[in-house]
Amino acid sequence: MKFDLTIALADRPGQLIRALEPIAKNGGNIVSIIHEREEPSAGLVPVSLVVDFPSALNLRRTVDELRRMGIGIIRAEEIIDTSRLTVILIGKMDLKRLANAGVENIRIVGFEVSNPASDDACLRVELEVPTASVEEALDAFKRIAEEEGALLLSPI
Amino acid sequence: MNIIVIGFGFIGRGVIEAFLRKAERIRRLDEDFRVVGVSDSRGYVYDSEGLDLKRLIGVDELSQYPSGYCRGGSAEDLIEMEGVDLMVEATPTNVVDGEPGLTFMRRALRRGIHVVTSNKGPLVVAFHELKSLAEEGGCQLLFEGTVAGAIPIFSLVRESLQGDEILRISGILNGTTNYILSRMHFEGTSFEIALKEAQERGITERDPSYDVDGIDAACKVVILANALMNRDVRFEDVERTGIRRVTQEAVSLAKRSNFAIKLVGTIDRRIEVAPKLVPINHPLCVHGTLNAVHIEADLAGEITLVGYGAGRETVSAVLNDVLTVLKSEAKKKG
Ligand SMILES: NC(=O)c1ccc[n+]([C@@H]2O[C@H](COP(=O)([O-])OP(=O)(O)OC[C@H]3O[C@@H](n4cnc5c(N)ncnc54)[C@H](OP(=O)(O)O)[C@@H]3O)[C@@H](O)[C@H]2O)c1
Repeated sequence: MKFDLTIALADRPGQLIRALEPIAKNGGNIVSIIHEREEPSAGLVPVSLVVDFPSALNLRRTVDELRRMGIGIIRAEEIIDTSRLTVILIGKMDLKRLANAGVENIRIVGFEVSNPASDDACLRVELEVPTASVEEALDAFKRIAEEEGALLLSPI
Repeated sequence: MNIIVIGFGFIGRGVIEAFLRKAERIRRLDEDFRVVGVSDSRGYVYDSEGLDLKRLIGVDELSQYPSGYCRGGSAEDLIEMEGVDLMVEATPTNVVDGEPGLTFMRRALRRGIHVVTSNKGPLVVAFHELKSLAEEGGCQLLFEGTVAGAIPIFSLVRESLQGDEILRISGILNGTTNYILSRMHFEGTSFEIALKEAQERGITERDPSYDVDGIDAACKVVILANALMNRDVRFEDVERTGIRRVTQEAVSLAKRSNFAIKLVGTIDRRIEVAPKLVPINHPLCVHGTLNAVHIEADLAGEITLVGYGAGRETVSAVLNDVLTVLKSEAKKKG
């Protein structure tokens, strides 16, 4: 699991190395570091890390240790991988039902409709879906389409 | 080896023609290769010394063959004849009860006769039963021609992916619907007109629902799942949606975002046949009457095969199965 861990470090040599220790100790694998030295405020520099931890528990332990060391935590949250998904629906369909399909973090990023008023109304929807939930989302869309009497065309 | 051919239609005839054309290649494997019997629904011709294939190809009806015609004789009589080693079964497909082919195959396999077939029906209805009959009888049951015509999908997996596990299969398994959807995609034709065109070209089944409602593709999915993924799948297990509701608007919408709508059979978490969005640069995205099979194997990764799914090309698959049996028999004899 990847996490965005953004911390506030004192603008002094050696601070970053110090902060990395608890991450390594808790099984974190650092994917990237952005050190924004141009923007110190009150002597603190924000450092954004992308860290791969085995679980959220490892992140929590790391955060606790960093706090104990007096390092401020700006953000500590999971980064959700999203995938672009295109589906086509044939038949009348309420777009809102897709967005509220019961799968978290789905975003509609585009759509195109033709013949909206007719029975073979046709709707193309582009969505951003958490990669891990793609199958779940497609199952939910299929169920909704069936309920509405529409036909769902999903990508292979 | 003594061969009988059950069904003297498009495929049965084509196979006999191929035996003639490839006679030399066949002789190299088996000097004693003989077609001893051929039957259709009305009777059979039989000659224990081997029929004259040139003559056979020349007749319109089996009854016109100069000797050995038995009117009203059944294929089952041929199967019971002394010394038959291999049956080519090419009777019409019946996916409801597999007949008449199922009875013929059961009989042949029980007698230890190798079976090569292009007939989906019996395999859809009784795949595992026939497989175990073949095992018990110590003979081969080969059916390359049943799925995706000339595309050698079963041979490929059997011979060249022996250590792999097949994890997922998807494919365009019906040439007629692919023709219809391709016309809609490229020419902007409506479904109804594209269907009519397909019918005029003689590439639809008499009952178009067999193609357009995905029945044919679902049968192929059943055979692929059972044969290549060791599943126990029956026709009813396939979630099936045909292409009747696919409108020209849907095809255009798809096209504008670089997809083509294709009738795809999938064996995965779910087993289904349904119209799907295929990215136009995906290897499965083939057009016209072409078929394509895409497999994912644990070691080999992804492999796609493309070719003709029906028509005279299918004879290649049947002939290859016959040669496969000849080869393994030749090996046994040393
Ligand atoms: N054509 C293709 O492109 C293609 C491709 C792949 C697979 N296949 C499959 O291959 C099989 C044969 O196809 P086809 O196109 O050759 O069909 P076809 O031209 O209709 O020929 C079927 C043959 O089977 C005979 N037959 C019917 N009932 C019989 C019975 N009870 N005993 C003995 N013979 C019987 C018919 O005899 P009558 O003439 O006396 O009725 C006819 O000679 C089918 O299962 C088909 O689905 C065909």
